Amino acid sequence: MITTSRRARLGWNIATYAVLITLTIFCIFPLLWTFLTSLKYEADIVTQTIQYIPKRITFDNYVAIWTQSGFPTLVFNSFVVTATTVVLCLITGTLAAYSFSRFHYRGRGALMLGYLVIRMFPAVLMIIPLFILMRGVGLLDSRFGLALAYTSFLLPLFVWMLKGFFDAAPKELESAARIDGCTRLGAMIRIVLPLARNGLVATSVFVAIAAWNEFLFALMLTTSQGSRTWPVGLQLMVGEFQLPWGVLAAGGIISIIPVMILFAIVQRTMVHGITAGAVKG
Amino acid sequence: MAERMSALSQHPPSVWRRLDPAAALGRLSESRYWMYLLLVPSAILILAVVLYPTVYGFQLSFRQMRLNRPDLGTGFVGFKHYIAMWSDKVFWLSLRNTAVWVTFAVIIEFSLGLVAALALNRNLPGTKIMGVLILLPFFLPNVVAGHMWALLLDPRLGVINDILVRLGFLETYKAWFADPSTALGAAILVEAWHGFPFFALLLLAGLKGVPDDLYKAASVDGAGPIRQLRLITLPMLRSVIAAAVILRVIGLVNSPDLLLILTGGGPGQSTQVLSLYAFQKAYKDFNFGYAGALSVVMFVLLMLFAWAYVRVSKVNQD
Repeated sequence: MITTSRRARLGWNIATYAVLITLTIFCIFPLLWTFLTSLKYEADIVTQTIQYIPKRITFDNYVAIWTQSGFPTLVFNSFVVTATTVVLCLITGTLAAYSFSRFHYRGRGALMLGYLVIRMFPAVLMIIPLFILMRGVGLLDSRFGLALAYTSFLLPLFVWMLKGFFDAAPKELESAARIDGCTRLGAMIRIVLPLARNGLVATSVFVAIAAWNEFLFALMLTTSQGSRTWPVGLQLMVGEFQLPWGVLAAGGIISIIPVMILFAIVQRTMVHGITAGAVKG
Repeated sequence: MAERMSALSQHPPSVWRRLDPAAALGRLSESRYWMYLLLVPSAILILAVVLYPTVYGFQLSFRQMRLNRPDLGTGFVGFKHYIAMWSDKVFWLSLRNTAVWVTFAVIIEFSLGLVAALALNRNLPGTKIMGVLILLPFFLPNVVAGHMWALLLDPRLGVINDILVRLGFLETYKAWFADPSTALGAAILVEAWHGFPFFALLLLAGLKGVPDDLYKAASVDGAGPIRQLRLITLPMLRSVIAAAVILRVIGLVNSPDLLLILTGGGPGQSTQVLSLYAFQKAYKDFNFGYAGALSVVMFVLLMLFAWAYVRVSKVNQD
């Protein structure tokens, strides 16, 4: 915003910094406090006077959550479900996004809207029949079944975001390849996908984070240690064993590390993709 | 081995091309229906895993289905569940709570998001990193977000209680989630923390699309920052705001995750919302029929809201 007087501008600058610093503290403080808690001895957490800076540091909580519970299995299951979801989205969603981006045909707008409306269906309405359905075909309590469910409700976002990245890839190279005798499929795989590489990575990361974090479907559609993901496992541990705060905090920190790393790597492209889709759509 | 190779290569090349799946797909891609064929895999998945269960869910709401009472059968019961809902006090309470939960969460998240977006859009030196940190909560899992705040607000060792007592705002530590009068408010605070970056993200993108000339012209005409915000920024952002609000309302109404983790609907039913109530009816009472009816009502109300909201925001445009 452009203001006329220099003094007024200085005032607004100070206000801007004040607002941003306050909001950053609001956003980061819970995370920071959880991290500090995960480094404290349980005796230092449950005290009369709260220790803001831990007097002594321990990694026992991390060792405890990793060795004394099924946490590694939970994390591994989450990893498998997430990877499967990303692969399924990449295979099916890339084709759909390419169709929406490169062709103009009857019903295209309606179809794109249809993919988006899917997002409006209440999870609860869907979960009950999905539970019955998956039980019927033997996919209940399986990592693949869960990944299938994730793919279906993450696909719309995946397709819309990726379409934006495909739109941004120049069409001329593709035409050149077609003239040189490439099939449409060949041109897509050899030319368009490499051009939209960053977009593919960012969109996949977005889907991966959502699948890694998901709680409700995992709670319903998994029932045993063999397929349970970490959010459900962690939540159940809190209920069953009265998990000590330090151990719970350590579990939380371990499980958000992949999210933070992925977010840090692709946040610029990903944020661009999310916002481009929203502003245009 | 060498003999087999030579035997194979004696086949005419056209046969080979027909057998090679990659080449076959390549030829398929030249078909005039290719654009539709590209949609087939994703459409099958969506039909099977989203659309079919949803239709099934509608149908379920007119049927008897209690997993723990197989003696009742699974026959059609017409509008029985819907009539039962009319006299179900918890239904009306959760409807009211849903309205409070969504309204306040959206208002707070929008306000914080707008302030954050306006501040970030000034691009002052050193604020880029803050932009990244401010977005972070949105990408964190509900389970971790819930427990982080449960720890911060804990009645015995919560650091927020400690700070408030030290600053003199509170006499003693407060059990925020155990007191029916503060539980919903505390949950809304957690939700606001988790959700406001979403608004910040979309509004910031919208702000980037507002041409600078408008502000220059306005300041030449002597309009101050507040009037510029009211007369230029907000009107220019109208469609982004509308999209963000709709998406957020849908998300808030549909997902019981955070309340399930924080309060489980309690104490009493003071934080019970529709999605959570339906969820508990299904997985605590195993009353799938009634849960189905609850989610259908929720879906219809949501559609009505979306329709009315789009209409109102369009009427204002004229």
